[in-house]
Amino acid sequence: MALAKSAIVGVGATEQGEIPGQSADHLAVRAAALALADAGIDKSQIDGLVTCRPPMATGTIGTDEDIAQLLGINPAFASTLAYGAGAFSLHIAAGAIATGLCHTVLLTFGTNLRSAGASFGGGTRDWLNLAGLVHIAGPAAMAARRHMHLYGTTEEQLGWVSVAQREWAKDNPLAIFREPLSIADYMASPYVVEPLRRSDLTMISDGGAAVILTSAERAKDFKKAPVYLQSMAQQSALRSDQNPDKLMRPWIKDIADRLYAQAGLGPKDMDLVYLQDATSVWVLQMLEWYGFCGLGEAGPFLAEGHTRPGGSLPVNTNGGQLSECYMWNWMHLYEAVRQLRKECGPRQIKDVEVALHAQTHDFYKGAATILSTHAG
Amino acid sequence: MAEHKFPDVNDPALAPFWKGTKEGKLLIQACKKCGYLRWPPGPLCNECLSEESEWREVSPTGTLWSYAVYHRAMNPKFKDQIPYTVVLIELDDGPRMYGRLVKGAAKVEVGAPVRAVFQEIEPGVSFVNWEIVQA
Repeated sequence: MALAKSAIVGVGATEQGEIPGQSADHLAVRAAALALADAGIDKSQIDGLVTCRPPMATGTIGTDEDIAQLLGINPAFASTLAYGAGAFSLHIAAGAIATGLCHTVLLTFGTNLRSAGASFGGGTRDWLNLAGLVHIAGPAAMAARRHMHLYGTTEEQLGWVSVAQREWAKDNPLAIFREPLSIADYMASPYVVEPLRRSDLTMISDGGAAVILTSAERAKDFKKAPVYLQSMAQQSALRSDQNPDKLMRPWIKDIADRLYAQAGLGPKDMDLVYLQDATSVWVLQMLEWYGFCGLGEAGPFLAEGHTRPGGSLPVNTNGGQLSECYMWNWMHLYEAVRQLRKECGPRQIKDVEVALHAQTHDFYKGAATILSTHAG
Repeated sequence: MAEHKFPDVNDPALAPFWKGTKEGKLLIQACKKCGYLRWPPGPLCNECLSEESEWREVSPTGTLWSYAVYHRAMNPKFKDQIPYTVVLIELDDGPRMYGRLVKGAAKVEVGAPVRAVFQEIEPGVSFVNWEIVQA
């Protein structure tokens, strides 16, 4: 039996940034309402729900129980991922459609981490943290340092990740950081965890995002042009420090190989690239593992300006998590869909048909999808 | 309840490790069935799943795999210590472990040979920190 393919037929996003007085669930459901309107459907046409719990969620926040109750729906299929960041949730939803568990899935994510005053500093009770290796900036700095050691990558080359994304954010009204950032500004800014600076790290923000996924067959009946899921792949490295090379994350190449093979496409076929960027180092690594440049060549590749507006490879055209907002890759997906639907105004890229949407969960696992305006 | 500043050295899962550091020895859990050296410690072997294990003394030497220099305290606990350097060490005997580079170390470089320094941080508790071995 051939499994049914699926397509995104609606996306929604609230304002992003600081949204005091609104719970994570409230923001998720506001985004859901926007996604339903975007798809031109009523909530009664949803028979699947996939929700993503926000970082550090407590109690039932972000669960399908909370979200379905607030939305007032009784879906046939409902599921919640603790780490359901963009691509991981999308794949669960696609699986549910492919196996016939449901035909149209609403995916939601909401967070109020910023207003809640959250910190990613972590505890010091865990003996592993006794050395002071707290916050993702620490291991990310180690990964950057290792890349610099192995390949001669410079801090300035790495800086082009943040600078290019800030250039993209300029034309994105949703972006939190839109003020200009030059490479000189970057180099002049102090270290947070050397060799990383503030603009190498994501901010913490509030917001909601939602997506509606349906079978490719049904997709044609919706208001907007469908964005098809051409292929999906995941890989974990959950053994973490017991793996031969935790820092460089070579297993991302396994995702890329399977993803491209499934779609019959390669890196040259990608018109748009979305790489989740909790830190700039993730972009540096993923440019290489996804084959946009050779291993060890991401530094010069970035410095040549390929990923900047007007460059040969548009990367994170929303500004990414370094400039737009911290939404666990959901807003990369929102941007990818809207770029493929030609809805992005001044930052719209011409003639785009295929996008790569990739993410990683720290050093633990990754997921990626090829999105396309073509069903086949 | 306030957070513990120091590890619970009597936690059975780690007590032998802390007993070792007090005596200036680096002890790692080893599987008695397949010999796999596992770090971090756990109730069974991550390779063969045997529950039989022992603590084995390993060489307190290794190679600097990478490092990160904290210029800002990402957790208030470490406010008084910045700047400080966290290192990832590949032990000569295999496993990887994190630790703090001792202050005033020689030029820090990935790939440098390192040696454990057992530093008492409160009576009866010694941390494993690391220093660069001078050529």
